[in-house]
Amino acid sequence: MTPNPLIDLRAVQKYYGDYHALRGIDLTIHQGEFFSLLGPSGCGKTTLLRTIAGFEDVSSGVVMIDGKSMEGVPANHRPTNMVFQSYAIFPHLTVAQNVGFGLRKDPRSKADKDKAVVEALAMVGLAGYGDRAANALSGGQRQRVALARALILEPKVLLLDEPLSALDKKMREQMQHELRRLQRQVGITFILVTHDQEEALIMSDRIAVMFEGEIAQLADPQTLYRRPVSRRVAEFIGVMNFLPCEVTQGAGDAIEVNLPGLGHATLQPDQCPSGGVPGTGSVGVRPEAMSILFEGEAASGQIAQAEVVEVIYYGDMTYYEVRFDAVEAPVTISMKNIVGRPVLERGDKARVSWDARSLVLFC
Amino acid sequence: MRKGRGLRTYTIFYLIFLYAPIVLLPLFAFNDSKIIAFPLKGFTTDWFVALWHKTELHQAVLKSLIIAVTTAVFATALGVFAARAGTKYRFRGKGPVLGFIMLPLVLPDIIVAVSLLVVLLRIGMGLGMTAAILGHVVICLPFAIAILNSAFSSLDQSLEEAAYDLGETPFSAFRLVILPLVMPGIISSLLITFTISLDEYIIASFLVGTEETLPVYLFNQMTKNSREIPVVLALGTVLVLFSILLLGIAEYFRRRGIARTGGKDTGGFL
Ligand SMILES: Nc1ncnc2c1ncn2[C@@H]1O[C@H](COP(=O)(O)OP(=O)(O)OP(=O)(O)O)[C@@H](O)[C@H]1O
Ligand SMILES: [Mg+2]
Repeated sequence: MTPNPLIDLRAVQKYYGDYHALRGIDLTIHQGEFFSLLGPSGCGKTTLLRTIAGFEDVSSGVVMIDGKSMEGVPANHRPTNMVFQSYAIFPHLTVAQNVGFGLRKDPRSKADKDKAVVEALAMVGLAGYGDRAANALSGGQRQRVALARALILEPKVLLLDEPLSALDKKMREQMQHELRRLQRQVGITFILVTHDQEEALIMSDRIAVMFEGEIAQLADPQTLYRRPVSRRVAEFIGVMNFLPCEVTQGAGDAIEVNLPGLGHATLQPDQCPSGGVPGTGSVGVRPEAMSILFEGEAASGQIAQAEVVEVIYYGDMTYYEVRFDAVEAPVTISMKNIVGRPVLERGDKARVSWDARSLVLFC
Repeated sequence: MRKGRGLRTYTIFYLIFLYAPIVLLPLFAFNDSKIIAFPLKGFTTDWFVALWHKTELHQAVLKSLIIAVTTAVFATALGVFAARAGTKYRFRGKGPVLGFIMLPLVLPDIIVAVSLLVVLLRIGMGLGMTAAILGHVVICLPFAIAILNSAFSSLDQSLEEAAYDLGETPFSAFRLVILPLVMPGIISSLLITFTISLDEYIIASFLVGTEETLPVYLFNQMTKNSREIPVVLALGTVLVLFSILLLGIAEYFRRRGIARTGGKDTGGFL
């Protein structure tokens, strides 16, 4: 299936007075995609979502939905629906009236509309809640009502502004899976705003990481996690260790680096998003991309000597902080606690196995 | 806890000063004597019967009601516009403008009355009920805005956006979502401004001309012939009960509105 572009943003800029909230956003979102906008607080995620929904005008640039420019098209005429962070459930109406609110101008008969409401409620797991007063619902239930209310209109795009941030951890994890299931079921394009990197990784087909009104990286979750294009993105997504290195040969198909305390590595161009420039740089490596070798375990790559300086035991995992010879900052390594594998103690010597393919070079 | 006791004594005296005269009102209204003095004579409902037969009084009541209803409607309608503008839009000079509208709250009524009198006479508009309504709208508007502000600002802004998002126009979104949610505030504003206008004396006495409203009529009765005092007290008793009822209803609606929108109670008049 070739991806079908549904939303096209071209050079979108947004100013609030003097404040430059969106600084040239170019973005294509495909039909049926689960897309996430991820970034720290204040980076402009909500603003971007609201320009798509039609609640904010762009200062310059174009927003296209389904091939049509949205300039001058107000929110009530756009093929988008929104789930608000506060859910915005109408407190004076019942659950069914809330869900059916958008059907007011629908030419279908009342019986058909009632049926659609019942189906929408069933879809979000609220069958039989129709007659409840909307302000007598829990946070998770409000969330579902807001979803049903938006989905009943079968929009081309569903916009979700941090829909899970008001829920407790258990509920949030449950809703993450449910949202994903729902999106696959209805096949509608979802655009999710979140500042929770884990949530974005779990749910999305593609993620745009935003900093200060700009998209820093747009990629699928695996690429984003394994090949972040900058130190800043790498730090924002999960945990990454940064080791000092010396680039001895830059450019070309093979970039040669020297890692004090670890040894020598040859990197492919895809591991060097900013290219390889001879000189000092730093190399990023995820905690699970290195492993401590225990008795009888074979190395899968190169081996370096280290000393354990801290042990954090999580039950299923153990996080070690180790120090390589000649490297000042400790490096975090996570190990799965499989049967028969001991847990080391502080001060123990460790043999660390690492693989050049799991490194990312930042200059 | 000496400090606490001092405050308590103060509160008790305060309440006595405030309410003792009102308690005396029904006491003498049912007292079988034309002289307002202790000891009480006997129980009578004559004064209430006399009320029933006074046609000038009925005229005055009617005029007061017309003025009060019109004032309540105008002040509340204007209040809705002001409160909505104040909570929804950011515009230049918003603070000063709103402050200016609220000014009559602290301005002595006599100043409002005199200035309106001068202006109205200058522009050649005669005195009468229209003039009184104008004056009452000016002094009632701040109350209407205070009540309606509390109603509008307890609304989540995204409720309105959600209505647009679901296909409503700004007008239908207002009608279907905003209006029902602020309705308790509107009712409470109508009742309070009605009550304020109904018993307002100073502005009315300056502006009604020959069309005596109830408070003006009452005052004239009291000062001109003291025979009528017990009848006036009977009327006062009726009015106090009526006012308490209206204020109670108003407060009920205000609280219900806040509870409905899930907001926090930030004041009010009761
Ligand atoms: N109406 C507005 N007027 C002026 N500045 C605004 C307005 N709305 C947002 N901003 C500013 O624009 C920037 C981006 O805001 P936005 O709400 O898009 O951030 P966000 O990424 O959604 O953050 P959060 O995760 O905290 O919700 C912020 O610095 C904010 O202060
Ligand atoms: Mg936001």
